[in-house]
Amino acid sequence: MTKLSKHLHIPVEHTTLSNGLRVVASPDRSAPFVTVGVYYQIGFRLEPRGRSGFAHLFEHMMFQGSENAGKMEHIRLINSSGGLLNGTTNYDLTNYFEAVPSNALERVLWLEADRMRALKVDDENLRNQRDVVKEEVRVNVMNQPYGGFPWLDLPPVAFRNWPNAHNFYGDFADLDAATLGDVRHFFRTYYAPNNAVLVMLGDLDPAEAFKLAKRHFEKIPAAPPPPRADTSEPPQESERHGEVSETLGPLPAIAIGYTMPSRESPDWYAAGIVERVMHGGRAGRVFRKLVLEEQIAVDADGSADLLDTNGPTQMVSRIFHKPEFTSEGAVAIYDEIIDEMQRKGIPSDELEPVKVKFRSDFYSMLEGGMGSYMPRFGLMHYLACFTLFDGDPDRVNTVLDGFLNVTPGQAQAFAQKYLVPKNRAVLFRRPPAQRTPGAPLVGGAR
Amino acid sequence: MSSPIQQAQSAPATSAPALAPERPVVWPRRTVRTLANGLQVVLAESRAFPKITAQLYFRGGNAAVALKNPGLAEMTSAVVRTGTTSRTSRQIEEDLRRIGAGLGAHAGADSSSISAAGLAEFSGELLELIADLARNATFPQEEFEREQRQRYEELKIERTTPGFLAGERLRRVLFGPHPYAIVAPTLEQVEAYTRDQLVEFYKRYYVPTDSLLIVVGDFSAAAMMEQVEKIFGGWSAPKPEGQKSTEPPRASGRRVYLVDRPGTVQTQVLAGNVAVTRRDPDWFRAVLANSIYGGAFHSRLVMNIREQKGYTYSPRSSLNALREYGYFSVSAAVRNEVAAATLTEIFYEMDRMRSLPVSADELESARNYLTGVFSLGVATQDGLVGQLSIVYLDRLPEDYLESYRQRISALSAEDVLAAARRHFDSANAQIVMVGDRAQIGEQAALFGAVTAYDAQGKEIR
Repeated sequence: MTKLSKHLHIPVEHTTLSNGLRVVASPDRSAPFVTVGVYYQIGFRLEPRGRSGFAHLFEHMMFQGSENAGKMEHIRLINSSGGLLNGTTNYDLTNYFEAVPSNALERVLWLEADRMRALKVDDENLRNQRDVVKEEVRVNVMNQPYGGFPWLDLPPVAFRNWPNAHNFYGDFADLDAATLGDVRHFFRTYYAPNNAVLVMLGDLDPAEAFKLAKRHFEKIPAAPPPPRADTSEPPQESERHGEVSETLGPLPAIAIGYTMPSRESPDWYAAGIVERVMHGGRAGRVFRKLVLEEQIAVDADGSADLLDTNGPTQMVSRIFHKPEFTSEGAVAIYDEIIDEMQRKGIPSDELEPVKVKFRSDFYSMLEGGMGSYMPRFGLMHYLACFTLFDGDPDRVNTVLDGFLNVTPGQAQAFAQKYLVPKNRAVLFRRPPAQRTPGAPLVGGAR
Repeated sequence: MSSPIQQAQSAPATSAPALAPERPVVWPRRTVRTLANGLQVVLAESRAFPKITAQLYFRGGNAAVALKNPGLAEMTSAVVRTGTTSRTSRQIEEDLRRIGAGLGAHAGADSSSISAAGLAEFSGELLELIADLARNATFPQEEFEREQRQRYEELKIERTTPGFLAGERLRRVLFGPHPYAIVAPTLEQVEAYTRDQLVEFYKRYYVPTDSLLIVVGDFSAAAMMEQVEKIFGGWSAPKPEGQKSTEPPRASGRRVYLVDRPGTVQTQVLAGNVAVTRRDPDWFRAVLANSIYGGAFHSRLVMNIREQKGYTYSPRSSLNALREYGYFSVSAAVRNEVAAATLTEIFYEMDRMRSLPVSADELESARNYLTGVFSLGVATQDGLVGQLSIVYLDRLPEDYLESYRQRISALSAEDVLAAARRHFDSANAQIVMVGDRAQIGEQAALFGAVTAYDAQGKEIR
């Protein structure tokens, strides 16, 4: 194996506290700030049935106060230290993170420890955040063209097992049904130190940072390991189809999802590279064929959440096409891309540039990853994911090699095995009124 | 009061640890030189990752042509990347991928730009590609037609997006005859673009004189300057003529502009007034006042309409600085029943900022917030390019980055009060509401005379 990722080495040190909290530190003293993340191994995939959207609602509750820092105190203390904070809910994890001047490191740890140890919320907070979450769903989904496309649309079509297939943002009835009892139970079950990882990086000394972590977190008692939901999918026998109506946007949209190989399996690396052959902007095969050559689509791209998921996940192509073409016709052209890849493979003069771009994008993700406002978000995120899912944060220094060593043969074999109808779901998002087929609006026909 | 949900008994520290002594912020050193052809070059080393980020700015954007051809600068930038005298569209995209780079070409109100970020080991090729697009773009007819059609379809989508519709209407209302009033073309205007118009814009504005190249990344500045000289030094073209400007109107009294979208489940509220640019002596005072009012998570507006009342997920106020004029705006997407209640709170908090000085705690918090976040903002290559572009495009003092923290830290509660009185023009705020007129029309009328529009911008009765 060639070691291609020798260009960048991230220093990584890690330890585990006596209560099971895994702690990772990565020093970089070039600028006086630190990025801190606390990751819990609970995401929307694992939320209780009858409580769709609860993992995300709960994430909001984590900002509502803890025993020694009341409502808005977390936010005020971070902001007034010169820092930013946020949290996100994902498939298999929920994270809380801060970027602050490095003199606020201990303050951040104290705050995170306080809410890991003793969340303090009441019915009024719950009502308030339920209202806020509903407006979040309205602004991001119900009142946006293509809102929720395809991250909320596709899973119910692609998957059969509820944890993978339900509405992750939550049905309003389920949000309304959530009680403070649910909040307590969820907190006790999943928000224990032994179900979490603490990542600290930037302007710090790892030994010193571990000492601070110990001081603030080690007395929080461990809990029984939480139950792991069974996220396995029954074998898929044939292509799956679904349709959602688009009430605001004018263009028909298509999402095509292929279920990916499991994390860290040999095919998983090929998946990462083939996905970038397909997508990755204007040089990607999907954009080139559908937008540039056939000119059926207005936009076409896609992605796969490979590095930060730990359960069934899909490579998804997203296509917005001109109304004078049918969605079925667009899929037929898309299938030509797949067919060609399966028959002819991917020549190395295409594969090698894709790998260069892959490496470049990986570095960009480490450096930023959430816009420029949250420096090193990506490094924090990957360190946490490699710790939670693979037990080895140092994978951040080696994972690239697996992708960069994919051969044309492996890429073709992957395409033949995984990019097949019985491994995919196709979703049409259709506006109610499409224009008459064949009538160009601008361009040559004027 | 509820009791905390304890994991179990333990004895924690009950108050937040004090901040440790601050480590000084080291501002990235810059090398600045203006080449013989008039191109200003700004270089800054940023060596944590083996990457390079470069952006070339031209001082001609959508405002330069808005009164004749709205959106023409943006259309030009979309087609600029589709062909040069030596590369086809496909080659450009493949060359980019081969050097691990991504490219963006965009136009704002005041400038057009070509930017690229990629691996530092290919910095020469990356800069050569930017230079090729800036100097030798050919605007192939078929590429133009394809991009034109794409723009047409994108615009149709934008016109179904509440945030876009609100912003478009507010700019119209605030800037009237000034080109800043127009943020996007109509569908018909897109259909009427011709290739020749793009070429003309390109010839006129994509020139080295008075333009700006910022390069940030893993390189040594001296070697990079040599490389830049070699690649951009031989380029020359005449300087574009300056524009005559019109003043925006002076608003008198609140008025409401309702963009009707029947059946929608939420109302997008946006209110604002003409304010200041970054060159105004009041800028820092206004920034601090905005931060306390609604510019940060811990601000008064967020506390009020999100954390206390649960009206909205994402309330926000901002100071928007364009080159000639700036404006202050406040926005929230709220459920229809509380559209009026939201505006009431928006103005209540504005008036409170105008009536009473902020507390010492609030002042201190907000100053720390702004100075800290400013340092975080230059910690990525992208962020640093963004900050540098503000300094050099707006021709701010050379020590803008270095002095930002001191200037913010020196401000007092009186400064905040004065800025709020001057720049939060509550009594003359112009109000945009995007939502279902049948549900929110009566609420809208509580705040002034209402003019209604459809999503295409046509006035309706």
